[in-house]
Amino acid sequence: MLGLFGSMSVQAQSLGSLEVSGRLRVGSKSEKITRKRFYLFTGGLDQHKTLTDKLKAADVTSRECFYCQMKASPEYIAWLKTGDCESPYCREITKDDTTKVPEFQAAYQKGIKQYRGKADIAQMWLTTNLPPTLRDGFYQQRKSLLKSLLGTLKPIQSSMTDTVSVKAIFIDIPLKSSDISELFLISNLIPIEIGDKSYVWACEVEIGADKTEKLVLPVADSSKLIKKCELIVKDLPKCTGGSCNTK
Amino acid sequence: MKIWLRLLFIPFVAIFFAAAFWTESTAQKRDRFSHSTPAHKKKDCNSCHSNPTSNWVAARGFPDVADFPGHAACFSCHQRDIFSGNRPIFCGTCHVTVGPRGKARFPFPVRTRSQEFSTIFPHDVHQDIIAKNDKDKLQNVAVAHFVMASYSPPAADDDKPQFTNCAICHKTRSDLPKTEPRIDASIKPLAEAASDTFAPKAAFFKDMPTGHASCFQCHFQGLQPAGINCASCHRLGTPYFDKNILARYSIKFDHESTNHANKDCTTCHVRITQNADLKTMKDADVPILTCSTSSCHGSNILEEIGKRESSIAEKQPAFQCIYCHAPSIGRFPIPKSHQNP
Repeated sequence: MLGLFGSMSVQAQSLGSLEVSGRLRVGSKSEKITRKRFYLFTGGLDQHKTLTDKLKAADVTSRECFYCQMKASPEYIAWLKTGDCESPYCREITKDDTTKVPEFQAAYQKGIKQYRGKADIAQMWLTTNLPPTLRDGFYQQRKSLLKSLLGTLKPIQSSMTDTVSVKAIFIDIPLKSSDISELFLISNLIPIEIGDKSYVWACEVEIGADKTEKLVLPVADSSKLIKKCELIVKDLPKCTGGSCNTK
Repeated sequence: MKIWLRLLFIPFVAIFFAAAFWTESTAQKRDRFSHSTPAHKKKDCNSCHSNPTSNWVAARGFPDVADFPGHAACFSCHQRDIFSGNRPIFCGTCHVTVGPRGKARFPFPVRTRSQEFSTIFPHDVHQDIIAKNDKDKLQNVAVAHFVMASYSPPAADDDKPQFTNCAICHKTRSDLPKTEPRIDASIKPLAEAASDTFAPKAAFFKDMPTGHASCFQCHFQGLQPAGINCASCHRLGTPYFDKNILARYSIKFDHESTNHANKDCTTCHVRITQNADLKTMKDADVPILTCSTSSCHGSNILEEIGKRESSIAEKQPAFQCIYCHAPSIGRFPIPKSHQNP
């Protein structure tokens, strides 16, 4: 359906397009990386050596480790895991959840006092009374990681993989000419957790005005350069006794 | 007392009393409050507004800015204005009846007055923070937290896939909105619009949050921008009246048709996940080639383009495209975006 963005000629400027597929084969399992953001930069791998070096050197705090270090209760971590959630905003916090998760219960009780005894508001607005670190701490940490990785570098576009086609689609990519294709770099920058590993891709793609470029992300057990893709694979640190260590 | 002294006294007294009724400031000349005056723009929002106001339970049912600022906020600068005549216009900004006994205030905000602020909503940030890793793992778990954003009971579960990040705020409408054709005034139509009996259904459209209820569910406090940080979400601009009319190119598009409802919203709204401010979007931002090159609609659209070209070649009245459009749009020249995919 989306295969023919390539020749869009809405504007006088030459424009290209790119599809990044989030369907992966990790070992014997097929994985879909849905709702993950990818960033597009002008220039190929050679031009972005600083960025790829930063990506390789970046410390990865796994989601589990982050919440573990923040002294989240086992119930809270379990709640996040149940929905594969990165934050409490991921899914509805039910009344049942509130009774079972101590952090939710404490936030609810605060809400009851603050919102004049209105139980429905205390429940629905529960996150407004959660401690900041457990509320959006993980997101903020990732945001600062992104900021430090990018420095002064600015992506020209970003797009998220969807939940059905599992593709991140980039359209209207500005090109200097309709005749010559140009090099771009596509990367998720922020590690994506699959199983007990994290994955970062920095892939060089050649985009022209004549057709949609399609990228299938390569997968391997360890970091390596595959098909013009710098793949950075790291073992996720494990949390034991409130501290995180790479196994 | 000498006569000349009396004569001097009369105008002095007259001026003294007249001054009491004289408009003291520009606040008396306007019929309503403006946030745009230099003095008001210097103020921090919280120096006048509080959140929540004490009347929130009765006025809204959830903590909100549900009332005008108190007298203290106004009188620090406008004390003289309230003594300006028997019925100072100044007081009419908030009070229904102007006068010492007129305590009643208009419902806040006053909907019949022009709006001064537009709302900044970064879709990209919201997509990131509520993104999930795998919806399949959530099949037995309720959809995203914002699902009750409109402060109404959750809709009954059905078998339709829930594409959380958009459906949280944009639900299928139950009422038919007012619509109008989205016309570019710089382009001339090829003909008068033919008659058309097509009537869209409410379910063709999605709604959107219209108040603080959905935002405050997460942003009332703590998570920035918090409920007291008004300027992070509201941008002062030229006063305007909300038309509440949806402008559409393709009035016949049905979000709920089987082959549309089973797609992720971002399949067509390609750029929404990178949009930091809706005001920067020029139009619906759905690339037409998504539809016109698809196996679903490609042949129908090509057929209509062919009919248009033939009608023009044969010097007949221009064929009006009605597969996607009402004639009010279908009578315009075919834009480049539709052609030569």
